Amino acid sequence: MLKNLTQFYRPATVEEACALLAAKDRRNAVLAGGTHVAAVNDTTIEGLVDLGALNLSYIRRTEEGYAIGAMTPVQDIFKSSMLVGPAGQLLREASGKIGSTLLRHAITAGGNLMALFPWSDLPPVLLALDAQALCRRGVPKRTVSVKNLIETGPRHYMDQGEILVELQVPEFGLGTGVAFHKFSKTSNDFAMITVAVRITMQGETVKEARIALNAVCKKAQRRPEAEKELENMVPTPERIAAAAAAAARDLDMTTDFRASREYREEVLPVFVRRCIDEALHQALS
Amino acid sequence: MEGKKHMNVTMTINGKKRSFETDPRTLLMDLLRANGYKSIKKGCGEGSCGACAVIIDGRPKNSCLLFAAQCEGAAITTTEGLGTPDNPHPLQSAFVKHGATQCGYCNPGSLIAAKALLDRNPHPTESDVREALDGNLCRCTGYVKRIEAVMDVASGGKKA
Amino acid sequence: MKKVVKSAAKPARTAKPVKTAVKSAVKIVKPVKLTGPAGKTSVKIVKPAVRAVKAMSAAKKPTVVKTVESVVKPVKTTAVRSVKAVKPVVAVKAAKAAKAIKPLKSAKVKKAVKPLTPAKQVVKPAKASVKPILAAKPVKVAKPVTKPVAKPTKAEKPAFMAPAPKVIIKKASPIPEPVFEFDRPDTFNVVNHSREKLDGYGLVCGIQKYTGDYDMPDTLQIKMLTSPHAHARIKSIDTSAAKKAPGVVGVYTWKDVPRIARTTAGQGYPEPSPYDTFILDNKVRFVGDRVAIVAAETIEAAAEACKLIKVEYEVLPAIFDPEKAMDKGAPVIHDEPEARMPIPTFFDAKHNHCAHVDTKFGDIKKAYKDADVVLERKYYPHYAQHCPIEPHICLSYLDENDRLTLRVSTQVPFHSRRITAQTLGIPIKRIRVIKPRIGGGFGTKQEVLLEDVCGFVTLKTRRPARWELTREEEFVSSRTRHPMVVTIKSGVKKNGTITGISMKILSNTGAYGSHALTVMSNCGSKVLPLYKTNCIEFIGDTVYTNLPVGGAYRGYGATQAAFAMECQMDEMAAAIGMNPLDFRKMNHIKEGEGSPIFKALGEGREGVEMKIGSCGLPKCIEIGAKEIGWKEKQGKHGYGPKRRGIGMCILMQGSSIPEIDMGSVFIKMNDDGSFNMMLGATDLGTGSDTILAQIAAETIGCDHSDIVVYSSDTDFTPFDTGAYASSTTYLSGGAVIRAAEQIRDQIKAVAASMLNEPVETLTIEDRFVWGKNPKGKLSFAQICRFAMYEYNQFQIAAIGSHVTHASPPPFSAHFAEVEVDIETGEVKLIKYVAAVDCGTAINPQLADGQTQGGALNGISFALTEEYIFDEKGRMLNPNFRNYKIFSTVDLPELKTFLVPTYEPTGPYGAKSVSEICINGPLPAIGNAIRDAIGVRLTRPPFTAEKVLKALKDKAAGKHE
Repeated sequence: MLKNLTQFYRPATVEEACALLAAKDRRNAVLAGGTHVAAVNDTTIEGLVDLGALNLSYIRRTEEGYAIGAMTPVQDIFKSSMLVGPAGQLLREASGKIGSTLLRHAITAGGNLMALFPWSDLPPVLLALDAQALCRRGVPKRTVSVKNLIETGPRHYMDQGEILVELQVPEFGLGTGVAFHKFSKTSNDFAMITVAVRITMQGETVKEARIALNAVCKKAQRRPEAEKELENMVPTPERIAAAAAAAARDLDMTTDFRASREYREEVLPVFVRRCIDEALHQALS
Repeated sequence: MEGKKHMNVTMTINGKKRSFETDPRTLLMDLLRANGYKSIKKGCGEGSCGACAVIIDGRPKNSCLLFAAQCEGAAITTTEGLGTPDNPHPLQSAFVKHGATQCGYCNPGSLIAAKALLDRNPHPTESDVREALDGNLCRCTGYVKRIEAVMDVASGGKKA
Repeated sequence: MKKVVKSAAKPARTAKPVKTAVKSAVKIVKPVKLTGPAGKTSVKIVKPAVRAVKAMSAAKKPTVVKTVESVVKPVKTTAVRSVKAVKPVVAVKAAKAAKAIKPLKSAKVKKAVKPLTPAKQVVKPAKASVKPILAAKPVKVAKPVTKPVAKPTKAEKPAFMAPAPKVIIKKASPIPEPVFEFDRPDTFNVVNHSREKLDGYGLVCGIQKYTGDYDMPDTLQIKMLTSPHAHARIKSIDTSAAKKAPGVVGVYTWKDVPRIARTTAGQGYPEPSPYDTFILDNKVRFVGDRVAIVAAETIEAAAEACKLIKVEYEVLPAIFDPEKAMDKGAPVIHDEPEARMPIPTFFDAKHNHCAHVDTKFGDIKKAYKDADVVLERKYYPHYAQHCPIEPHICLSYLDENDRLTLRVSTQVPFHSRRITAQTLGIPIKRIRVIKPRIGGGFGTKQEVLLEDVCGFVTLKTRRPARWELTREEEFVSSRTRHPMVVTIKSGVKKNGTITGISMKILSNTGAYGSHALTVMSNCGSKVLPLYKTNCIEFIGDTVYTNLPVGGAYRGYGATQAAFAMECQMDEMAAAIGMNPLDFRKMNHIKEGEGSPIFKALGEGREGVEMKIGSCGLPKCIEIGAKEIGWKEKQGKHGYGPKRRGIGMCILMQGSSIPEIDMGSVFIKMNDDGSFNMMLGATDLGTGSDTILAQIAAETIGCDHSDIVVYSSDTDFTPFDTGAYASSTTYLSGGAVIRAAEQIRDQIKAVAASMLNEPVETLTIEDRFVWGKNPKGKLSFAQICRFAMYEYNQFQIAAIGSHVTHASPPPFSAHFAEVEVDIETGEVKLIKYVAAVDCGTAINPQLADGQTQGGALNGISFALTEEYIFDEKGRMLNPNFRNYKIFSTVDLPELKTFLVPTYEPTGPYGAKSVSEICINGPLPAIGNAIRDAIGVRLTRPPFTAEKVLKALKDKAAGKHE
C-alpha cells in the first residue's frame, strides 16, 4: 500500500523519465512491471514513473551477442527463439524459473536485476555471462558491467535519476557450456540456493570460469576464489570439487526459515559441482 | 485518506471502451471489481494465487499487482468476455465437461491463463499447459481435470 | 458417559419386513435379492443402533416415540418392497372412493380427501383433529393429517354425504420412522452417472456470486485489531483517537460487547466443544487474537484507525509446547470463570487440559508379552491451513423487517444462526443466514468466526457491515489443523498377527478449544478399527497453548492418526520380515466384521456399534499396487545420488455422525414438471447440489436438470447440520430419498386418479407415468398442472428428514513412488496412486475430483506446508509466498481409481468420499522415503533439510 502516492507519470521519453526520478521536491519511484511495488508498504513514495511507454521492450541480436531492453518481460526472454547459443540458453533457463507464468508476463529484465532480491534469478546469470548494463541519465549514457552495478547498488543509480535501459549480453561459440540451478521447495517458491555457471574452454584447459550465486547470500555475487580453482587448469574431478568447496567458503551464508546456514553450507557445494559438471559436459561436446 | 480521484483512465474491456475516474493508488483488480467485473476474485492480494488474472494487451497478469493507471489505453479481457452460459467459450465448456470446476473461485483466473496460452500456442503439450497455469492455485481439484480440459480444447484444433 | 438404552416402545425397529399386518389385504411382493456392482448380495443387517443420548442437559428429555396403532402401519425399515405395497391399498381405496363420489359437473364439493402423503412436516401437525370418516367418503390415509380438515358446513354438504359413524383411527406418529436401509434399484438411471454440475456454467462464466460479490449501499468495512502478544491481559484500551479518525463510524472493545461464552465450532447442539470464546475479551491468548473492532467507511480508514488504538498490555508468560502445557506452574490460558464444557465431559482449564478420552479393550500388557516384537514410536503431524482460495468473509445487514441477515461463506448455516443468536443475545427467529457460493472451506468454514462481529456492528449502527479476512488473517486468526504428538505402540507375532495396539494422542488445540475433543476422538474412531486385534488402547488428551487455533480440517484427526498408524504398520511388517502389502492384506478389517471402537468412540460421546456393510479395500489394494508397479519395483532403489522408493498405506474414514446429525430436504413440484428442492445441505464447491439433485431425480424418475436446487438459507431451507463429517451424500442424500419417495408417490397417486387405474400398476420412467394401457401415459407437466389447477388441487410437495444409524467407512489404498537425492535430501514425488471405495459414486466424475483434490492437498501437507513460529509465538510465513501449496508444475503423475461397492445403508449404496483421501500422502510418502533410503521420518513436512539430517544421523548411528 503506497499510502502517500498521489502522482502517476507515464513519460514518453527517457529524458522525461530521468528528470522525474531526479526530482528533489518529491520521492518518485520507478514502476517497471509493478509486481513488487503494488504489494509493498512504502509511505515514502509519492509518485510512480511508469517506464512502459519508453519502447524498452525488445530482444535484438548484436555483433557481440544480444541487446535486451530493460522493460522486456522475462516471459519473452524465456520463450525467445532468438536466444540460441550458450548465453541465450542460460538466459532462457533462468527466466523460465522466475515466479509463475502470470508473474513472468509482468516482471521485467530490468526490474529483476535492479530490485536485486536474494531470490532474483537473472542477476547471477548476468554475472556469469559478463553482461553489461546500458544506463542513461537523460541523454548521457554509459555502460557499466552488471558486476559493478550490483556492487554499487542499483538504488545509487536510480536516486540520481539514472535508469537502466538495456542489458548487453555477449554470446559464446563452441567451447562454452552453461548451467543454472534454482533450488526451491516448489516451482514458484523463492530460491534457497541459486547457482549459475559458465565455463569457456580453450582446448583442454578452462579459459574462463564464472560461478555466480544468489539466495544463499544477501546479494548476487561471483565467487572468484572458486573460479580461480578452475581457470587455466584442466578440470579434473579434484579441481572441480575444490572449486565447489571454495564457492561455499567465506560466504556470509543466509539462514532463514527456508533453510539454515548449516544446510546451505553443506549443500551449496553439491549444486556448484553439479553445475560445473553440466557446463563442462556441454563445453566439451 | 482515499485521495482525490484525480485521474481518468480509459481502457477497452471485453471489447467495450470504458472510462473511469480513479486515483494513482487504485489497483486494477479493485477498479474492475467495483465496476461490475465480479469474475475477478481476490485470493491473496500479492500475486501468488492467480484468482485475479486478466488478459491485458495479450498477456495474462495478476490484476492485484497492476495499478489501474498503468493500464491506460490497454485492451483487457476478463472471464465475462470469454463467454456466457448460453454461448460459452470452448474452454469454459471443457471445464464443465471434464469436471474441472468445483468451488469455482479460481476458475476465472485459470480460464484466462488457459486462453492466453491457446492464443499464443494453439497446440500445446501437457507440459506447456501445466506451465501456463502454474500461477493459478487451486485447493479443490488437484488440477488434473483442468489440464485434461485444456488439452481437449487444444487437440480439437479450434482457434481458441 | 452413561448409556441410556431407549426402551423400544415400538417393535418395528428390526430390519424384518412386517408382513403380518397386511397379509390379508395385500399381495406381498417377495423381496428381490439384488446382485449389484459388488457382485454379491449386499449384507443387509445393520444392528439397530443404540440411540446415544442426545443431550445430557436437564432441559431435554429423552424423546419417546409414541406408537400408534393403525390399520396400515407404515414401516420403512426394510429394503423389502412389500412395505411399499402397503400404501397402494389405501390409495386404491381412496381413488375408488374418489371416483365413487365424483360430483356432478355442477357442484364442486369440498372433499375431505387430503393429499395422499405422509406427514408434511412443514405444516404444524394436526392436533387430534381426526374427523369422523364417512363410509362413502374416501378413506383417510392412515398417516397424520397435517392440516385440520375443513369441516363442511351443513349448507355445503351434498345430500348424499350422510353423517358417518364415528370411527376412530389412531394416527401414526408425525415423527419419521428411522430408516436403516434404502431400496436398491436394478439399474441406475441418474446416479452413478457423471452428470454435469448444475452450477458449472455459472461458475466458469464468472456469474455465480460469492459473498464478496454482493454490493450493498452504505456498507461499513470492518477491521479487527489483533494482539501482538501470545498471552496478555488488556489493562486499558484508549480508542479516542481511533474514533475521531476520518471515515470511522465505530470502535468497540470488550467493554462494548455482550460477554457470552460460547464455542465457534459449528457442531450440533449442545456442542461437544468448550464454551471458551467471547466476541472480545480483556485477555488475549495468541498472536492474532481479537483486541478491538473498527467499523469505517473504507477498509483503509479502518486499517488506519486500528493503528491509532492505544492498548496497554500486561504481558503474561506463554506456553507453546503442548508437552509442557499441563505441567505444574504452566500459565493458565483459560482462567475466566465462564469457560466450561456444555456437555458433561472432561474439562480442566486450570491445567490447560481441554479434553480427555480413553477407552480400552483387552489386556494391553499381556498383548505386548504375547508379541514377538513390540515397537513404540512418536509421530508429530504438524500445523497446516486449509488455504481456501476465498478467505473467510461475511456481509450482514438488517432487512425490511428488522431481522439480522448474514450472508456468509459458511459450511454450517444453521449452527451459524444458532450460535450467533446465542452470542449476540438475540432470538434465533431474528436471524437469517444465507450461504451463497463458497470458494472452498475444507473445514475452516465449519466455524462461526465472523458473524458475531458483523452482526454486532450491524445491530449497533443499523448499517450493512462487511468483514473479509486478509490472507494473513486467514492463516493466523482463523482455524488450522490440530498439530499432535501421536504415540503408537504395538505388538506383533512373527506370523503377522497383531497382538495389540495402543494409540496415545496429545493434541494441541491452540488458544481456544473448538473441535478440541472431537478431532482427538476421531483419531481413534477413524483409524483404530481398520486393523483386527484383540487388544486396543486409546488415550487422548487435548491441551491449550498460546498458538493459532485448531479447528475442523478435512480428515479431522484421522489425518494425524493415520500417519502414525500406517508408518507403524510398515515398521511392524519390516520387523517380522513381511512385505507391508501382505501384512496389511492379512490384518485389515473385512466386510461383515466389526470393531469395539465403533461403539466406544463417537464424537464427544459414545459411538454407534456397526458391522462393515461394504468393503472394497482388497480391490483398492490390488488396483493400486498394480498401477504403481509394487511387485516390479520392490528393492529397486537405484545407485548414484538419486534413490527410488515406494510406499503405501490403507485408510478408512466415516460417513456422517450417526444418531446425532440430522438433515432434511423439501421438494415441491412445478407445473412444467420441474421441481424445486430446498436443502440445508451446504455445497461448498463439492457439488453436493448436483449429487443430491441426482439422488432426487433417480428416486422421482426424471433428470437431474429438472431439479432446481436452492441451498442453504435458514429462512427457506429446512434444517441440515451442514457440510462436515463426510455427511452430505450419506445423510442429506438419505433425506432427499425420503422426500423424493413421497413426491413420487404423490405423482403416481394423481396419475392414478387421472388415468383411473390402480396405482400399483403405474410405473414412472423419464418424466412420464405409464399406465397399464399403453395409451395411458402422462407427463410430469400434465400431472402437476392437473394437481395444481384442475381437480382435487394440492401442491405436490414433501419434506424428508433423515438421521443416520451407522457411519459406514469408505476405504482407500494409496501408493507413492519417490526419488530422494541423498546428497541434498530433496524428495521428489514421481507418482501417486489412490484407489477409493466410496460405495456407489453418485457422480463418478465429482467423486474422482474429490479424490484428486484431497490427495494433492495431502501431498503438499507432507512435503512443503508448515507453520513457522518465532520464539514469541508469531507466525513468520502467513502468506502464499512463504507457505507453499502445490501448483500445476509441482503436481506429480496422479492416478485415481474408484472401486464400486454397494453400501446398503446408504442412498443408492453410497458412502462418503470427500475426506478420506487427504489422509494418505503423509504415511504413503513417509513409507516410500523409508523404502528409498532406510530412514523413518516422524516430523513432517519432509523437507530436504530434514531428510539430509536424518541420513546423516543414520550414518552416524543415531536413531530417532
